[in-house]
This record gives sequence, C-alpha cells and structure tokens, in this order.
Amino acid sequence: MIGTLDPARRLMLGAIGLVGFLGLWALVAASGLVGKAFLPGPLDVAARLVALLHTSFAGGTLLVHLGSSLQRFTAGYALAALVGVPLGLLMGRFRLLDDIVSPIFDALRFIAPIAWVPFAALWFGTGFGGPVLIIFSGAFPPCLLNAYRGARQVDARYIEAAEMLGTPSHRLILEVLLPASVPSIVAGLRIGAGLGWQSLVGAELIVASTGVGYMMVQAQSGVSTATVMVGMVAIGLVGVLIDVALRTVEARIHRRLGRA
Amino acid sequence: MSSIRFDAVNKTFGGGQIKALEDIDLDIADKEFMAIVGPSGCGKTTCLRLAAGFEFPSSGRVLVGNSEVTQPGPDRAVVFQQFALFPWKTVAENIELGLRNKNVPRAERRARVAEAVGMIGLDGYEGAYPHQLSGGMQQRVAIARAYVLDPQVLLMDEPFGALDAQTRVVMQEELVRLARRNPRTVLFITHGVEEAVYLADRVAIMTRRPGRIKEIVDVKSVREADHWEKCARIEDVMDRESFIHLRTHIWRSLREEKNGAEH
Amino acid sequence: MPLRRRSVIGLTTLALLAALWFLATSVTGMISPGRFPTPGDTWTAAVQASVRGYGDATLLIHVLQSLKLVALGFAVSILVGVPLGLLMGTSLTAEALLNPVFMLLRPIPPLAWIPLAILWFGLGDTAKIMVIFFAAFVPSVINTHAGVRQIDRPLIEAARMLGTPRWRFIGEVVVPGAAPMIFTGLRLSLQASWTTLVAAELVGALAGLGHLLNLAQQDLYPGMILVGMIAVAIFGALTTALLGAVERRTVTWVRTAGEPA
Repeated sequence: MIGTLDPARRLMLGAIGLVGFLGLWALVAASGLVGKAFLPGPLDVAARLVALLHTSFAGGTLLVHLGSSLQRFTAGYALAALVGVPLGLLMGRFRLLDDIVSPIFDALRFIAPIAWVPFAALWFGTGFGGPVLIIFSGAFPPCLLNAYRGARQVDARYIEAAEMLGTPSHRLILEVLLPASVPSIVAGLRIGAGLGWQSLVGAELIVASTGVGYMMVQAQSGVSTATVMVGMVAIGLVGVLIDVALRTVEARIHRRLGRA
Repeated sequence: MSSIRFDAVNKTFGGGQIKALEDIDLDIADKEFMAIVGPSGCGKTTCLRLAAGFEFPSSGRVLVGNSEVTQPGPDRAVVFQQFALFPWKTVAENIELGLRNKNVPRAERRARVAEAVGMIGLDGYEGAYPHQLSGGMQQRVAIARAYVLDPQVLLMDEPFGALDAQTRVVMQEELVRLARRNPRTVLFITHGVEEAVYLADRVAIMTRRPGRIKEIVDVKSVREADHWEKCARIEDVMDRESFIHLRTHIWRSLREEKNGAEH
Repeated sequence: MPLRRRSVIGLTTLALLAALWFLATSVTGMISPGRFPTPGDTWTAAVQASVRGYGDATLLIHVLQSLKLVALGFAVSILVGVPLGLLMGTSLTAEALLNPVFMLLRPIPPLAWIPLAILWFGLGDTAKIMVIFFAAFVPSVINTHAGVRQIDRPLIEAARMLGTPRWRFIGEVVVPGAAPMIFTGLRLSLQASWTTLVAAELVGALAGLGHLLNLAQQDLYPGMILVGMIAVAIFGALTTALLGAVERRTVTWVRTAGEPA
C-alpha cells in the first residue's frame, strides 16, 4: 500500500513463505505428534500422487477419476452456459421476461447448489445425470446474471441507433446486445466454471461411484490421508487450469475488442 | 525559518528510465507564496510530492526549514487536487484528525475546529459527510484541514483544478484573503497562468519533461507597485495593465514549451 | 410505479408457479409423487418434522444445530480472515510472505476439505467448523486485502501528511476505507459457510439440516427433501439479510450508486 518492494526481495520473501509453510508441514508430519496415517508429509503426498497415476484406487487411476469428473463437468457447464447466457440476454432485452423470471431466480438463488443433491439423485440417478444437475445449479447463476447485467449495461444509444435503423429484435440481440456484453458474459462464464467445478466436487463426495470426489470419500473411509490430499491437489490443479484457459480466452476477447 | 529549498534535485522513475526532474534549484523564502506553472506532465506535482515527503529525490536534496525532508508530516500540510477528504468522517472529524494526531487537548481542539469551520464559512455543516457537500465546499474543508494545523508550510496541488469556473474564482479570492491575514510559506502547483499571477509572490515556469526551472517571474514587486490589493475582486486585478503584461509574458514562455513539444 | 408493476408480475408468477405445482402433482398426477412432492405431502412432512421430529430430532433442533455451526464457523473465519487481510494489505512484507501460500491453498475448493476434516475430527461439530473455516476464511482474506489495496492513494497520503499514528491509521482510515469490500467478503464467507455446512452434513452428521436432507434422500421421501431445502434457503436468506442490515448501519457514508466518485 505504501510504496513497493523491490522484486528480488519480494521473490525471496515469497520463497521463505512457501518453504516455511511446506517445512512446517513436513516437520509436524515427521515429528510424530500426529499419527503418520493422519498427517502425511508433503513428500509422501507427492509420492502418492505419482503412484496413483498408474495404480488403481477405488476403481481407477487418478487420471481415470479425473476423466469422469471432467466429463460430468463439461456436460453440466455447457448446459449452464447454453441456457444461462441466452436467457440472461433475453431478460436484459425484454422487460416482461425479466419480471417473470427474476422472482423465480431470486427465490431459487438462496438454495445452495449442494442442497439440490437429494433431488438430483432422485431424478437423474447418481451416475451422470445427478452430478450434472449439481454442476448446472452451481454454474448457471453467474452465467445468467452476467449476461443479464451485460445486456442491461449496454449503452442505450446503441440500442436507440439500432432501433432507428429499423433493426429487427433477433438481429438487435445477436448483433448489438451480444457483442456489447461479451466482456461481462465471459467474466460470468469464468466465475460459473469455478463454482461449477466446486459443486461437482461436492456432488461426487455425496453421490457418485467414480470421479475425484468419490476417490476422496473412499480414501477417507479407508483412512488413506495421502490419497485424500492427492485428491485436493488434483482438484485444485484442474480448477486452476480451467481458470487459466478461460482467462486466456477472456484476455484474447478483450484485446479483440480493444479494451486491454 | 521555514523556507523550502530544492538543491540540485533530480528525479527519475521506472528505474532511471523516465527523467521527471532535472537539476531543480529553487528557493522559497519564509512566508513566500510560490506558484509553479508548466505544461502537463512536466513534473510540477512531483516537486510538491518531494516537499511533502511522499517521494524522494534520486539525487540532490529537498530542505524544509533547515532539515532534509524524510517523511510526510503535519508541519507541511498538503491540499490535494481531489480533496482527499475521508468519506467516512464528517466535516468536523476531517478537520480534527490532524489535531488529534498532535495530541491537542479536546477543549482546544473543539475551539480550533469551530474557528476553522467559521473561517471557511461552513458553519452548520460540521456534521455533514463529504459526499453531501458540493465540490467547492469539499475543497474548503480540505483547506481548513490543512490550515487548522497551523503549518509552517502549505503545499497545494492544483487545489482548484476540480472546481467549476465560478467556484474557482470565489476560492481564489478566499485564498488571497487567508494568505494576507495569515501568511505562510506556500508552494502552489497549477496550470492556470492567471491563477498563478493572481495568487503568488513569484511564479516559477517549468519546461516540459524532463522538468527544469526555466524562469522565475517576480509578481510581488509589480503587485505592490501597482497596488493590486486595492482591488476587491479578481476581475479588477485581471483588468490591470500590469497583470495583463505579466500574464502574457508567462503565456508566451509556456507557449514556447508547448510548441517545442510538437516538434 | 415500475417497482409496483415488477412486484405485481413477480407475485403473479410465483402464484402461478404454485398453482402449476398443485396442478401437476396433486390434480393431474403428471409428476409422480415419488419424484416431486405434492403441496399436501410437503405440508405433512413439514408438520411431521416440526412436531414429531425426523431423524431423531425436530426441525427446530436441526435448524438450531445448523445455525450454531454456521455462526461459529463464520465467526472464527472472519476473526482470523479480516485481520489477516488487513495485515497483508498494510504490510508489504506480510503480503510478500503470505500471498504465495495463499495462492497455493486458494484453488482447493472449500468442499474438498470435507474428507480431510472428517478424517481428522470425525462427524462431530469440530470437523464442520474446520470445513466452514477453510471455506469462509478465504473470501474474507481476499476481499479485505483487495479492499485495503483499493483505498484511494491520496487518502492514505492525506493520513500520513496529518501525522496519523499506525493504529489510528488502521482503525480510522484502513478499516473504514476497506469496509465496503470487507462486507462483500463477509457476504461471500457467509454463503460459503452455508454451502459447506450443508455439504458436510450431507456427507456425514448426527443432526442438522444437511443430515435431514441426507436421511430424506435415503428414505426416498421427496416431501421431506423439499422441507429441508426450503429451510436451508430461508435461514440462508435470513442470515444474509441480517448481515446486510449490519452493513447498512455500519457503512453509512457510502454515496448512492451511480454518483461519481
């Protein structure tokens, strides 16, 4: 806040922080204060990660579990984006639709995505459909909200200009509202991806028989703490990768639109 | 005793990449009102920030009184261009903060705040929050916050730049009245030439980047010789031959800088 | 007038939706009661849960249990998170030291801590509070930190120019300056608290709304599932509204939206 640190010092302090954190973890793990079964050290977790790449646990290797998690994620997320973005844009354009959908949306918004798990399981089973609904309910609100806000924030002069030129409604949405609200939509897609991925993990903890979340629950009941931690690392890593990918897209779009 | 002295000051930014100030030598006498004018980006604000202690010279020294500036402090009160009032503090609380920091007893604080509020003509607004005030009123609070500390040195960074033209005139007249009643060493940054001539004892003209002092114009002797103080209003001063002459001189000098920038 | 139009249409929509629910379940049986409860089923379940109890406790006990854990977990996380965010915002050294550790832990979603928490602390309250802590603590820190960073630089310089001592600076400049963002963080923390609590209780618990949901799911009892969901939504909304009221009473100086800065 006051001034800046020079980069070398900053880097060094950062390294001290990280090494300190990992060192403390390793130290407590090695000290035997906590049973090794309950607190494996960082190296144990790394070794377990490597092992899980080729040995099977709870019905598959780590990559197999990740694969089925990602499959569910892709389906639920795509559904959320494909429904949320158009609906948001239409709501931003047509007030009647806004007035009708908003109260339903507001009422449902207070239900945490994870509270849908029982119905999701009841309606679509625990294999694929159930988790997909949970991801959908996590990713949908930001997709819709950001498209809606984006469309509402479009400069009224653009719309007036388009109307003055006699632009029909569908063209106005596709050629004015959509491009003008792209930055907001992309931001929403990014937030939605994060929330969707989180919700998926939750869903897999509760109902599923494959996936990283399922692997973690199995490891928990088998007291394999290292496997649980591998699951956390893998989830975090994939989450970051998804975010980085979407950020890249976002940056590219912003550059195209000339807003760095 | 609270003069400001820039002694061979150089200032670079971006690890020496950008040269902001070059060999600035400037002496502002005790209780003198010095205005700095210059093209935008010439580093005039940097001069003020050096005197305030927000930044430090890359080489050379900035002295206030006889000691080198090492940090900001209430002995050198700053009036910021964007007012910088604390939005969560009332008018009275904004003015009072510096006095509390100096551990002035409560009763005395109250009296001095009341006096300052009276000075800027905001009686009745003590409990108002900044966002409830107009721009001119906010700037008056910022000035009161600086004056109440009874600082030896006042540093003003385009304090009227954010105001509309009419409010600005009123504030300029008010500042002249204040400065006459209660003279201080003032460093006043502006890009308004007329404002500088109207307010200052001397006007320093800076070159475009890297900023150097190009010329220092003595206004005070002209002002006293021509008895500007007899004019009640700013437009009367601005009508005077001597004022126009000084203004045009400074304009021309600045114009050369601007034309230079285009080549 | 536009507001009134909005609420008329909104209420009409919700009323129509309720009527549609009644029509599709009770009247025509288009949706089988095994998939979604009729209004009658839901009412019966609500009465059963409130009066006789479900899952070894009445609805009130479940609600109180969940509220207690949310309150405790939320309190612990903001008591740690906000000061840590302030420290990282005001001290460059602390920021450089802690930020990388934070970046390392941040991508792990709150819910992913649940198995570890159960491994370490079992199914009792401690595990829940730990999970809520990990979930809710992150948004408090991040938003407080960002809030401090967003304070107008001239305000900080004005405070320094006025000779403000460090503690007064933090108390009277940094905290109020960051307050709107701090409250954003608190709101996110509260949301995260509810989400993780319900998830943790779904994974394993002896009481609480998530436990009720879990039992209802295992018993294939749609009416009770809906009662549980409605209860979660109502109390989530109530606690959020409470926080909003606190914010409005605390942050009184913020200009109304749309006014220029």
